[in-house]
Formats: sequence, structure tokens, C-alpha cells
Amino acid sequence: MSTILEQLNEGVSAAVDAAHRSLVQVSVGQGNGAGTIWHPDGLIITNAHVVSALDRPSRGGWSYGPYGRFPQREATLTVTLPDGQTLPARILAQDAEKDVAALTVEASGLPTIALGDSRKLRAGQMVFAVGHPWGVLGAASAGIVVGAGSEFPEMPAGGREWIVISLKVRPGNSGGPLLDVQGRLIGVNTLMTGPQVGAAIPVHTIKSFLKEALGSPMAASITAVPETA
Amino acid sequence: MSDVLNSVSDGLADTVELAGKSVVRIEGRRRLPSTGLVWSADGVIVTAHHSVERDDNLSVGLPNGDKVSATLAGRDPSTDLAVLRVDAKGLSAFKQADGAKLRVGHLVLALGRPGTNVLSTMGIVSALGNNWRSALGGDVDRYLQTDVAMLPGFSGGPLVDVSGALLGMNTSAMRDTSLTIPTATLARVVDTLLKHGKVRQGYLGIGAQPVRLPAALQEKLGQETGLLIASVEAGSPADQSGLVLGDTLVTLDSNKVRHMDDLAGLLTGDRVGASIPATIVRGGQVQDIKLTIGERA
Repeated sequence: MSTILEQLNEGVSAAVDAAHRSLVQVSVGQGNGAGTIWHPDGLIITNAHVVSALDRPSRGGWSYGPYGRFPQREATLTVTLPDGQTLPARILAQDAEKDVAALTVEASGLPTIALGDSRKLRAGQMVFAVGHPWGVLGAASAGIVVGAGSEFPEMPAGGREWIVISLKVRPGNSGGPLLDVQGRLIGVNTLMTGPQVGAAIPVHTIKSFLKEALGSPMAASITAVPETA
Repeated sequence: MSDVLNSVSDGLADTVELAGKSVVRIEGRRRLPSTGLVWSADGVIVTAHHSVERDDNLSVGLPNGDKVSATLAGRDPSTDLAVLRVDAKGLSAFKQADGAKLRVGHLVLALGRPGTNVLSTMGIVSALGNNWRSALGGDVDRYLQTDVAMLPGFSGGPLVDVSGALLGMNTSAMRDTSLTIPTATLARVVDTLLKHGKVRQGYLGIGAQPVRLPAALQEKLGQETGLLIASVEAGSPADQSGLVLGDTLVTLDSNKVRHMDDLAGLLTGDRVGASIPATIVRGGQVQDIKLTIGERA
């Protein structure tokens, strides 16, 4: 119809392709969430709630259920890379309040994604969420920024900053990337607040979490991740 | 900057206006009408089976505002399709999109006409995949999921690309996920329904579950699991063919049967009435038998 619309299509497909190159699956036992490769040496970012099943104590004791007792089994944390390889993963750091977790896998030379400036988001700008909603791997959804900041009456209080987006996020999207129209990472999709509204943790919050939690050696390698202002 | 936005916005509105000429209202249930799409200008309308709750007293609301009566040509619950026929002049059928060009991320529009006017929601292609089998055993040529919002009355309506070409029929029959039955499937099913009034599916009459075969049999048969028959309906094709409780079905028509999905895929319409070779494990012994496939009612 109009070539502008066809150009739009190309742009959206390209942004989604960029996300796919650094999109992982994060699995703890039965649960499945998404994650993004933050650093080529195996640093993965996801939500803390995606890996929280590991927090249940399993120090070799017993668990008591209605039918008797049974030994605790450790749930294993794995990450499936874009090339299909599944590797065991370890939690490097997590912050339950911010709902962010940093994982590590033994791999190097992994593809990463350029970071966008999450402090410069404007209501109305187009964004895309990529993840594994209801187990559909790599599925994408598009919409606009409803708003960004910390003053949303419906969001959990405590000064946390959010990017609120009008698109479709579902179980399985958690921990996955939110992208701008240039395919740069601007947030981590974290929750849905309505059938067509979700919220993401801005990338600048992820960066400050990594600097605090991992200290200077990782902080130095973080700045090696390409970013544009 | 705003010129680009205006172009995008007008482009979308132009597409809805063009495609809307092939979108009709279906009055086939007590409460809210649903949507249908004009498949051919001679009066063949495609809509969602689940939205047509009666077989007669059907009406179709046309884009020009007229309302005409419709007859039901047939239904295929397994792909949620129903085909109606109307006698009307000036119908405009959809141009069909080239599915091979579709990519995840492409803009799509869902159209509906639950009332007088055409309505639209916009989204992108969220996921594309290979052929899949619906919960009722229907064969869908391609997995096409979008993030369009399915408004009330949108079931049975078209999914179109930015040029207004038809990508498929939208169904919200799957929990919360906007799935589209692609044009390839529509073409197949419409053809069958127009000719036969229904889509034939094979039927055996067994309840079964997958079981792990003993190691020696796994090696001999080259498969890890088979289907253990847990019940045989009295008088069913399985009963008449001599299958009994405890038999394990491992091949049908030279195809391995490892789980229910394998079996569902083999009980196709073209096998109805045919006597098909099968292999079972009975009392630990591998046996070759013949099964006559019946038709699902």
C-alpha cells in the first residue's frame, strides 16, 4: 500500500532480529523465563523472580509434605543460548527488591546487544518486547512507551523506576529484552499490569545494580559493552 | 517528522478501508455477532466455527449496509472454520498475501465487523512456525501468532498485511493468544467443506497413553515408546479390528506411533474405511495386524 509501512516492517523485523541474537532461555526446574547476554564472557541478565525457585533451602535436609517426607532436590539453573546450547548457570548476584539477577555461564565470545539510553525515553515512542510468552520461544510484541519514571500509582511504591509499555507481555517474557526502534536494549521486561500493559526495569537501573553488586572488576568489563547515548 | 507519522497513520487507515470491503458481519449466535471474510466474490464467506452457534437462521451484514440471509455449507471444528454461502452482488474478495514473505515483526491488522462499521486493531507478527495440530486434531499449515488485541466480535475476521492482503482468519479460541489460521489452511478446508460439507477424520475408538517399551523391543522396533491401549470402545473400529486392552500400538501404516500426536496425525480423512497394516505388542510379542479405520462422527 504505502512504502512507508513496508519500511516500518523492515525496521521492526531488524530490531527483533537483533534481540534474537542475544536472547536466552533461563530455566529453573519447570519454570522458564528469558534473559539477555550482557557480556560476551557469559554474563546474563534476567529478573530475580525468574531464578527465585533456587532460593528455597536445599541444604540436604528433608521436606515435609502431606504424604510424608522426601529429600530436597536441588533445582538446577540452566541457560539456553541463541545457538541452542544449554549450559549450567550460576547466580553471580541478585537483588530481590529491584527484581534483577546476574547469572554467569561458562562461555565466551557470546553475542551481545547495544544498549540504549533509558533516561531519554519519551511517552509514545515505539518499543518491542521479545521473550518466551507461554513458552513460545522468541515471540515478539510491539507497542509504545506509556511513560517512564517512578510516579505510577499502580506500580509498587518505593521509588523504583519503571518503563511502562503498552504491549503484550505474558509469563515467559520475564527477564527478556525491551528494545527501542533501533534494536537497542532499553529495559528488562518484568511484569504485566494489564492485558495490554507491562512494565520493564530500565537499563540504567540494571547498570547501577551491576556496579554495586559486582564491584570494580565486573564494572570495568561492563563499560566494555558498547552503548550509545 | 510529523509527515512520516501522517503517512504511516494514513497508510494504515487506507489499508483498513480497502480490506474492509471484504469484511462482513455474521449473525449466528444470540449475543454478539462475529466477523467473517469474503473468500470469493460468488458468495463464499469464511468465519470461525465457534462463533456460529446455530445451523440455520443465519444472516450476514455486508459492507454496504445490506443484510442478507446465509446458508451453512459446512464446519470443521478441528480448525475452527465454518463456511457460509450468501447470494449477493458486488462482493469483493480478499487478495491473498504471499505467506513466504512474512517475518516476525511485520505489522499486521486484525479487522472485525461486529456491528455496522469495520473496526481494526494493530499488532506485529509475534511468532511464525511450522505446521501444527490443534487440540481437536486439526492440521494447520503454519503457526502464526500475533499480538493484535482480539476485540469482542473479532473471531472469524481477517488478519491482513500492510497492503490489505489476507494472511488468514483470526481465532481467539486459544487462551489469550491471538492465533491466525493461515490462508493455505483456509483454502484446503474451504475446498473440502464446499465439496463434502465436513472434513473427514479417521477414528479408532481407543483411549491410550504413551509407555516406555522394554529395552529389547526398543532396539528391535527402533523407538522408545508406543501407545498402550487403556480402553477400547465397544463396537468401535478398534474393537471390530480385534484390538484389546493392554495391546501396545507401535506402528500404523508403516509410521512409528510413539505418542497420541503421532496417532492423531495418521487418522486422516483419506484413511477412513481403509484396512491399514499396524504393528502391536501383545503379551510381550510383536504382531502385525490390520486395522480398519472408521470415521469420527
